[in-house]
Amino acid sequence: MASNTPEIPWWLSKVLEVMWQNFVQYVPIILSALSNTLILAFFSFGLATVLGIVMAFAEVFTSKTILIIVSWVARVLRGVPLILSIFLVFYGLPKLGLTLPPLYAAILGIAIVDAGYQEQIFRGAIKAVSNRQLEAAYSLGLTRASAFLYVVLPQAFRIALPSWINDFTIVLKDTSIAYAIGVVEMFTQAIHVAQVIMDYMWPLVFVALIYLAICYPLSMLSNYLHGKLKMMGMLGSGV
Amino acid sequence: MISELLYVSLKYGLLLLEGLRTTFIITIASYAIGFAGGLCIAIARVFFHKILKVFAGVYVELFRGTPMLVQLFFVYYALPEIGIRVDPVTASIIAIGLNSAAYQAEYIRSALSSIPYSEIEAAYSLGLTKLNILIYIMLPQAIRIAIPTLTNEAIYLFKYSSIAYFVTASELMYVGKLIATRTFLYVEVYVLLALLYILFSIVLSEIARYIERKLQIPGYVT
Amino acid sequence: MLKEELLIVEDLWKFIDGKPVLKGITFDVSRGETKVILGPSGAGKSTLLRCINLLVVPDRGRIIFDGEDVLKRRDIHNVRSKMGFVFQHFNLFSHMTALENVMLGLVKVKKMPKHEAEKKAKEALMAVGIAEELWNRYPAQLSGGQQQRVAIARALAMEPKLILFDEPTSALDPELIWEVLNVMERLAKAKMTMIVVTHEIGFAMRVASEVMFLDDGMILERGPPEQVILNPCNERVKRFMDRMKYVYSLDTG
Ligand SMILES: Nc1ncnc2c1ncn2[C@@H]1O[C@H](COP(=O)(O)OP(=O)(O)OP(=O)(O)O)[C@@H](O)[C@H]1O
Ligand SMILES: [Mg+2]
Repeated sequence: MASNTPEIPWWLSKVLEVMWQNFVQYVPIILSALSNTLILAFFSFGLATVLGIVMAFAEVFTSKTILIIVSWVARVLRGVPLILSIFLVFYGLPKLGLTLPPLYAAILGIAIVDAGYQEQIFRGAIKAVSNRQLEAAYSLGLTRASAFLYVVLPQAFRIALPSWINDFTIVLKDTSIAYAIGVVEMFTQAIHVAQVIMDYMWPLVFVALIYLAICYPLSMLSNYLHGKLKMMGMLGSGV
Repeated sequence: MISELLYVSLKYGLLLLEGLRTTFIITIASYAIGFAGGLCIAIARVFFHKILKVFAGVYVELFRGTPMLVQLFFVYYALPEIGIRVDPVTASIIAIGLNSAAYQAEYIRSALSSIPYSEIEAAYSLGLTKLNILIYIMLPQAIRIAIPTLTNEAIYLFKYSSIAYFVTASELMYVGKLIATRTFLYVEVYVLLALLYILFSIVLSEIARYIERKLQIPGYVT
Repeated sequence: MLKEELLIVEDLWKFIDGKPVLKGITFDVSRGETKVILGPSGAGKSTLLRCINLLVVPDRGRIIFDGEDVLKRRDIHNVRSKMGFVFQHFNLFSHMTALENVMLGLVKVKKMPKHEAEKKAKEALMAVGIAEELWNRYPAQLSGGQQQRVAIARALAMEPKLILFDEPTSALDPELIWEVLNVMERLAKAKMTMIVVTHEIGFAMRVASEVMFLDDGMILERGPPEQVILNPCNERVKRFMDRMKYVYSLDTG
């Protein structure tokens, strides 16, 4: 392996070529599982967003005790590895009388952990909207509710947007862990194909490229929006 | 439930501790690789010439744009096809470490670029060389600025080391699954594991906060 | 053997984004002289100082410092180590204490042993009136005036042949301006060679050996302070000075 010749040995390139030819016919099968990956990603992300926003609001706008409770809940959620959360939902809920098919169990398992992260994103965003702006809104005679609706919310959403998009790419990549309970999403399907053709190289490279094709543009978008916010001075410390 | 939890922790306590040890080995080793790699990549992206910059950029996007699980399977299952064979723990350390390097590079890079240019200019005006400015002005500040994200990454890796389970590295998650299938106490064992992971992430995050406070310098708002 | 002129600037041009910011600046500075540069915002004053220190590279012209054409030299950092630069916003290294700020250049550029550098740094800090209890504070724990004096000490400790000041008091409260100007005046009296960009015409009147008025990248007028500040020939300079006199309530003749 340590030879200095830049060329791939002929036998290796031959082997890779044969493997590729074996693999190509399975491409449609792998792609057919993309829909499950997207379903997993969208539903768990959506659920986590709802949970995250509710938690963030509860923290910022209710009592001190709720703040402490909710922030500990979020902390605990963030401490659970994703596989465990999926296992717990899949194997644990039936004990409580609720049996979920793997796809639903995975959605719930991913959402629970991600909710802990989204709580962070939205709490940070709400708090970043400066108090001075709220004061200015009150000074104009806006009620608490309308100040909240027209001043805090639009800004908080804009501040959260880059991190929120970024979090989606994390969830999308994490859906691959649903493989643990046999959800037939794209990664699982690629592994199945790999086991059939006895070659992991091409299936893995192929799914990697698909994940990349979705995540890279989104992370570019996130960076762009982040840069824009920075230029508008909306990421400073909100006093 | 409680009695079963006790039963499992008493009967399999040692096994669990061994799993925990492997988990920590994977976490620490991959974090070290990630930090060293991330530092080099970040410096390359901020400081060096075009080709190196492009190369570092491609690395970062490639590793951040694909699932860690795919990377792990690649190292453990695909690399043997071209003659590179490693054991499960090593494969996990390599895959998680390479992945973390991409993330840590981004944290350090953004910290580097947040250092006010005025300070760098002042350093130039004293006659410091580019390398000295990097070592004495930029890196000390960048590391401090990046500490919250860098320590977060360590906690993240601690949790994520559990994916080593998929390649049969005998870390905490794998050991847990083993015990679960042996005792049929799936839920109890998973709850126990979850408690362990939660406990250690919280302890780690408290340590991180302590470090943060220790290294705090007046005038830094993080 | 020493020539009279420490710095000669000849036909200096600088373009930024295709727009000329300096248009053929020529002047020289003798040893021990304090040159004050006045001029409106955007005139190119900062750019001129940064060109002299090679923080930006001029597009045309010559800069001869201490008998050497600095644009021809490749070890720019060695040239810079012989020139001090004091910035408008102090630019102290925020992760270092006052003392460490002053020591850095001595240790890393002049390669002094640590204890010697420390001794020298303390002397420099004393010279600008920074007392011992402030030495171990971080920049954020110092007032603006103190920060700027530390910055002057940082430049001074390097034993530069020339110090460039870019509006050193513009970011300071009026009360603190005095303490910084006072340090600078003492430096001038001690025959330190300085180029000072400032709006403090009172200081210019007292200390400057020559005043240059810069506008739109050109020197419109130069001469002794009494002439340029009180009786300028150029119309543009006269208008500027009248406004300055109003702001500083000098004579309103
Ligand atoms: N980095 C830069 N990018 C774009 N334009 C610049 C840059 N630096 C300076 N300029 C332009 O060059 C001109 C001169 O700038 P300079 O900072 O030298 O002026 P100045 O006389 O120091 O003004 P001030 O009193 O405001 O400090 C200005 O028109 C400015 O817009
Ligand atoms: Mg200026």
